[in-house]
Amino acid sequence: MNHRKQPKLLGARVRRVEDPRFLMGKARYIEDIELPGVIDAAFVRSPFAHAEILSVDLSEALAAPGVIAALHGQDLLGRVKPTVCDAISDGWQSSEFPALAIDRVRYAGEAVAVIAADNRYVAEDGAALVDVDYRPLTPLASAEAALEPTAPLLHEGWKDNHFYRDRLAGGDPDHAFSIAHGILEFEVATHRHGGIPMEGRGCIASYDPIERVLTLWSATQIPHLIRSELAICLGLHENRVRVIAPDVGGGFGPKSHLNPEEVAVCLLAMDTRRPVRWIEDRREHMLACFHSREHYHKAKVAYAEDGRVLALSAEVTVDCGAYSVYPWTAALDPGMSLFIMPGPYRIRNFRCETSAVATNKCPYGAYRGVARSANCLTIERAMDAVADALGMDPVEVRLRNLIRSEEFPYTSVSGFVYDNASLIESLKQVCAEADYPGMRERQRIARGEGRLQGIGVVTFIEQTAPAVDEGAPINFRYDSAIVRLDPSGCATVQLGTHSHGQGHETTIAQIVADQLTIPMDRIRILYGDTQQTAQGIGTFASRTAVLAGGAAHNASGQVKDMLLERGAHLMEAAVEDVELVGGRVTVRGSGTRGLSLAGVARATYYHPELFPFGWSPLLEAAGTFDSGHGTYSNASQIVLVEVDPETGAVKILEYHIVEDCGRMINPTIVEGQIHGGVAQGIGGALYEELIYNDEGQLMTTSFMDYLIPGPTELPDFRVSHLETPSPTGPTGVKGVGEGGAVAPYAILAAAVQDAIRPIGNVFVNELPLTPERVLRFIDQAANGHG
Amino acid sequence: MVDVSRQGVEITLTVNGRKHRAQVEPRLLLADFLRRRLGLTGTHLGCEQGVCGSCTVVVNGETVRSCLLFAAQMDGYEVETIEGLSDDPDLLHPVQQAFWDHHGLQCGFCTPGMVLTARAFLEENPEPSTPEIREALAGNICRCTGYMFIVNAVKAAAETMARKVPDGKSS
Repeated sequence: MNHRKQPKLLGARVRRVEDPRFLMGKARYIEDIELPGVIDAAFVRSPFAHAEILSVDLSEALAAPGVIAALHGQDLLGRVKPTVCDAISDGWQSSEFPALAIDRVRYAGEAVAVIAADNRYVAEDGAALVDVDYRPLTPLASAEAALEPTAPLLHEGWKDNHFYRDRLAGGDPDHAFSIAHGILEFEVATHRHGGIPMEGRGCIASYDPIERVLTLWSATQIPHLIRSELAICLGLHENRVRVIAPDVGGGFGPKSHLNPEEVAVCLLAMDTRRPVRWIEDRREHMLACFHSREHYHKAKVAYAEDGRVLALSAEVTVDCGAYSVYPWTAALDPGMSLFIMPGPYRIRNFRCETSAVATNKCPYGAYRGVARSANCLTIERAMDAVADALGMDPVEVRLRNLIRSEEFPYTSVSGFVYDNASLIESLKQVCAEADYPGMRERQRIARGEGRLQGIGVVTFIEQTAPAVDEGAPINFRYDSAIVRLDPSGCATVQLGTHSHGQGHETTIAQIVADQLTIPMDRIRILYGDTQQTAQGIGTFASRTAVLAGGAAHNASGQVKDMLLERGAHLMEAAVEDVELVGGRVTVRGSGTRGLSLAGVARATYYHPELFPFGWSPLLEAAGTFDSGHGTYSNASQIVLVEVDPETGAVKILEYHIVEDCGRMINPTIVEGQIHGGVAQGIGGALYEELIYNDEGQLMTTSFMDYLIPGPTELPDFRVSHLETPSPTGPTGVKGVGEGGAVAPYAILAAAVQDAIRPIGNVFVNELPLTPERVLRFIDQAANGHG
Repeated sequence: MVDVSRQGVEITLTVNGRKHRAQVEPRLLLADFLRRRLGLTGTHLGCEQGVCGSCTVVVNGETVRSCLLFAAQMDGYEVETIEGLSDDPDLLHPVQQAFWDHHGLQCGFCTPGMVLTARAFLEENPEPSTPEIREALAGNICRCTGYMFIVNAVKAAAETMARKVPDGKSS
């Protein structure tokens, strides 16, 4: 008799197994961990964007009731190494990022001193008693100011205020420009904003002086990478540093850095022999959690009469703030731009110059869709500009330039190898889903009624689970999993990655369940503790489903082979003749029930005498998966908006998405990731901006003046899927965490421009499209300044 | 110097049906009292400025922001937190169940506030339209989901709750 086969779980809309603890208020985030004897830290932060520190007096703070310890920058000298995170490039200038500013502050909000006290209230009181004497210096509040010949140099030994300059060229752009039917030039700007998770940053450090072990609990996406750099900064052996990332209340990139505050808190714990906790408040988060997205691009496009783009030339400037952050460096966004700028189009002549400028602003770090949103904006604005110049439909101009399915694998002019994608198919499908001709007709009718409706369309390709073989201090192209079967036949899977909303306790279990043919409730997914898991990298860059999923697939495949070998031996069958079906090892075609997985496991662990001497009694395996060049997801989106000419408000009427992230492990979770990504992209395109004044003071330090979209700002998303399995990995899965956030900048710029068209032509080139900016574009259109 | 004094205001309040008496510093926030003194860490602090809604709790039947209230103000009040809804994953409140069924959460940080806000709203408006749901949740920020699955969950919860007769049994 045949045992019942468990249906494949890869591809199933399984409800998330991790949800009950979140729904019931029983999750354990960093602030929920209560250690005996814990004390709280509060930081003293610079009120100046740029100043010399003349003196720091901690005496009054230390005398206050309840204050236990205090440190300032000078106390770190000789004890803590500053973070040095250098890109590997001829155009790089090195700099140091100290945990606490030593003799100079370089951004408003930089940590200068730290107080530890009985509780946070008292610690904040103590921080207010610290007396710092500053001598203000000229603040460099923009890339422009930092590049003035008279600007002071921000770091020791620098020639100018560039962290990084680089260039890349392919084909023969000069020739292409010389034969072009037309040439268009434009500039775009996406101002500073960030991931802003609902849970801020925080950590608890605890030091055991007998075992000489430092444990850091941190709200981080990258526990292993934190461990490596902490060991270097504090001069500890890495096997005596343990980093635990508990439940994390949203990551999005901002929690994928070593925070200087974490290093200072570790030192306090080592000094006081007490656990020390730091939980930032929202104002600290806005001031000092690394910002993102501040790109300035200049582009020049050559096109043919039929709408083909012949060449692209671009200059990218990213305002990277005061310091180069670990582990990404300040080359993160500008370096990525060199390679991703040509996007999904068949552009064979390309030139790009890129730079990271140091300014007196908060340092610049990773945010969902690193560099992609701004580069998508530039290349898509180019397509829209060509369409307008030739009087073509924006869909048609894209269809003429997109790489066709039969051209994959496709090596881009910048050297990226796109494994496969469904670019034209996704664009055609989204046009069908949105009834694009019908939408144009409705737009025409609305215009007839005096309403300003506009349509935007975008296609993009996105490298997920990326490799960075050149230029970066850490190449994060692999991740790991350990799969261990216990004597009862249940599996424990330890991942080198983390999960902070992506649902990996569910999706990775789906992969392992298919390999071992056991139900998901017999699988436990663990992660986030460097002492418990194999060396891993972390969760960011749309990599976990691909890399940790691939690693778990490989490791559980090895365990499956062990089970087959042992089951065959027990049944006196040849290993080639047995298979694992429905949680049992059976002889193929024998019709017998075979042996349960638990039976084989129990025999292996507790009856080694049943097997040849020397066979391992362990049913466990460590697996890794290396993506090579990464694997490429793609999507097309169409939006319909209405602009209010009186207020400048932009209302999204319809938002259509066709996403291809290869084989989907769990379509519901994929849709959740897309919704969330698009929502954040809409935030960056319409609402969110970290505004600095000329003095380098951040003017947006609360949710009252930094606007995160709420449920009334966002539309219902209409998502459908294509599935082009990845040829790169064992599961066919591509990454999807970031994709949603890539397109909204470009698509909303196009839609608002299209909406304003009845008033006049204007080129929308600056985001976010706040009412003020929209009204300015309307004025320009009305005055013929387009 | 170590200050171990616990001087302050004496309060008596009911939290999730249990009566508590406590001495609290006048400046102690209700959120910190619930989290630190009672260990009810399901109430989360997302902004401490009364904007994000993560710290939403129910006081005498009204949803409030526990980051904007002092514990000392709570003398004689009844407080309900997310932990008061269910202590059994197999017996979730219909709103919790609907969030689970409809993927209405990702990182989970805003979820307790969302669930309590949605429950209070559905008690007042058992048959809401989609725009009404969106409006009702406008004081709660979620950074992960884009809200659509949350809205779907609240719609589904309304339907489940409508199938129950007033005495709480299924019809």
